[in-house]
Amino acid sequence: MIEFVNVTKHYPGRRHVLREVTLRLGQGEMALLTGPSGSGKSTLLKLLTRLEDVSHGTLMVGGVDLAMLRRRHIPADRRRIGVVFQDHKLLMDRDIFSNVALTLQVAGVSGRQVESRVRAALDRVGLGERWREFPETLSGGEQQRVGIARAIVHTPEILLADEPTGNLDPALSTEILDLFRDFHHHGTTVLVATHDQAQVERLGMPVLHLEHGRLMVPKELS
Amino acid sequence: MNLHARTLALRNARDTLLRQPAATVLTILALSVVLALPVGLFTVLGNLQNLLGHWRNQAQISLYLHRNAGPVAVARLRARLERSPGVVGVRYVGQTEALAEFQHYSGMMAAIRTLGENPLPASLIVELNPLAQSPQILEASVQRWSRDPAVASAQSDLQWVARLQAIVSLGTRAVWALAFLLALGAVLVMGNTIRLHIAQRRDEIDISALVGATRSFIRRPFLYQGLIQGVLAGVLAWLIVMAAIWYLQGPVNRLAALYGTRFPLVSLTPGQGMALVALSAFLGWLGSRIAVGRRLDNTFS
Ligand SMILES: Nc1ncnc2c1ncn2[C@@H]1O[C@H](COP(=O)(O)OP(=O)(O)OP(=O)(O)O)[C@@H](O)[C@H]1O
Ligand SMILES: [Mg+2]
Repeated sequence: MIEFVNVTKHYPGRRHVLREVTLRLGQGEMALLTGPSGSGKSTLLKLLTRLEDVSHGTLMVGGVDLAMLRRRHIPADRRRIGVVFQDHKLLMDRDIFSNVALTLQVAGVSGRQVESRVRAALDRVGLGERWREFPETLSGGEQQRVGIARAIVHTPEILLADEPTGNLDPALSTEILDLFRDFHHHGTTVLVATHDQAQVERLGMPVLHLEHGRLMVPKELS
Repeated sequence: MNLHARTLALRNARDTLLRQPAATVLTILALSVVLALPVGLFTVLGNLQNLLGHWRNQAQISLYLHRNAGPVAVARLRARLERSPGVVGVRYVGQTEALAEFQHYSGMMAAIRTLGENPLPASLIVELNPLAQSPQILEASVQRWSRDPAVASAQSDLQWVARLQAIVSLGTRAVWALAFLLALGAVLVMGNTIRLHIAQRRDEIDISALVGATRSFIRRPFLYQGLIQGVLAGVLAWLIVMAAIWYLQGPVNRLAALYGTRFPLVSLTPGQGMALVALSAFLGWLGSRIAVGRRLDNTFS
């Protein structure tokens, strides 16, 4: 589903942020992306959503070479992917329903369908009853779950998360990561970047470890 | 694009405008004043041209008739003149009348009387709308008319027409130049308003882009915002112009009465009003389009 072949990335006027990264994540698989701060985790995820372009090498997502993707096809391509952010990036002036509905609205899903699918997604993350509230009335963990609902409401093939538990206490982290594992069990391809060593050990999932932009051979697989 | 997406964008635009009523009203007011100014000037100019066009005894041509021209020939010439473009009226001045007029203006009756018979020819006085045709075309017409067998000679003063036309075309140009500048002003007003809205809603734009919104999806609410404000400003500008005309009509009436005439001011026709609204809507749309295009180029690159 996701395939990096010798992918290198450098930002203008900077040393390489990713060097010769080669990895493969099959359909329905889940992996954790780890590494110290500045090692290139966020950059790797940004390449997948075409927020950044690959400098060298090939990046295939669902059989599509992203370098070949025309600019005007990027929006449609992004809809195959759900993204969860550490700071959840919710719209504070819109209620929870509208925040989650945005993903469907940009895809042109009609009103009645939006309603039922948003409610289903919120049920899935345990916030079914609170769709009329605004983000600021929710706790950090609840806000993060709204972000997750927004990322999965259109049932994407791929779910990416960039340190989704960075601001949460251990119990909430467990809760959120279990949610991701749940989606993985339902067939979604999941890639989660995290700092949280305790969670990495608890989950026992394949780990992709970055150091200075290089992918280390994961301990678990060696 | 489907209707649902448009409805969604329209609702979004409406909500944004209603969330900041003061800013919205101010933008619409600024825009309407910017538009009402040139439109008002065009209306005044139109009325002025109207007035000049019906100003009798200013641009006239005298065709002196042959002594032996028969009434049928004169009648035929007269009919031909009346059909000519730009001719407002044709007046026949018989020999006796000409003498009476001459007497009235010169008082040289004694000199004339010594001649024994009336030396003054009959004539056709052609009154022209001085703005209907260029002096060159008028000149050519006069040449043609003077070759009519019934006409002995023609007298015309087209210099005055040329001067008047030069002044009017200068005025028209000036108003057009002003209109162009103010239209540019309207685009800038709208562009800047939308730019501020965009700055306030950066998050929304960026997040929409992240979840896969197309450029047109992101752009549409802003375009509708510009369009809605443009339409409202256009309607308001229309009302302002109508009110101004109404306000001027009183003094104009009093002035006209002093000259023993009536001069109803012509306001915007419904067609012109609609055109004004359409133009305003377009300018609003254009302003947003430019502003949002610049922002999107940064988001998507
Ligand atoms: N837009 C950018 N322009 C220039 N350099 C950048 C840009 N984004 C990231 N970098 C640099 O690239 C390197 C990797 O950044 P990245 O955000 O991918 O790291 P990270 O592994 O996500 O770190 P963290 O754990 O702190 O989030 C860093 O040195 C960072 O300064
Ligand atoms: Mg990061």
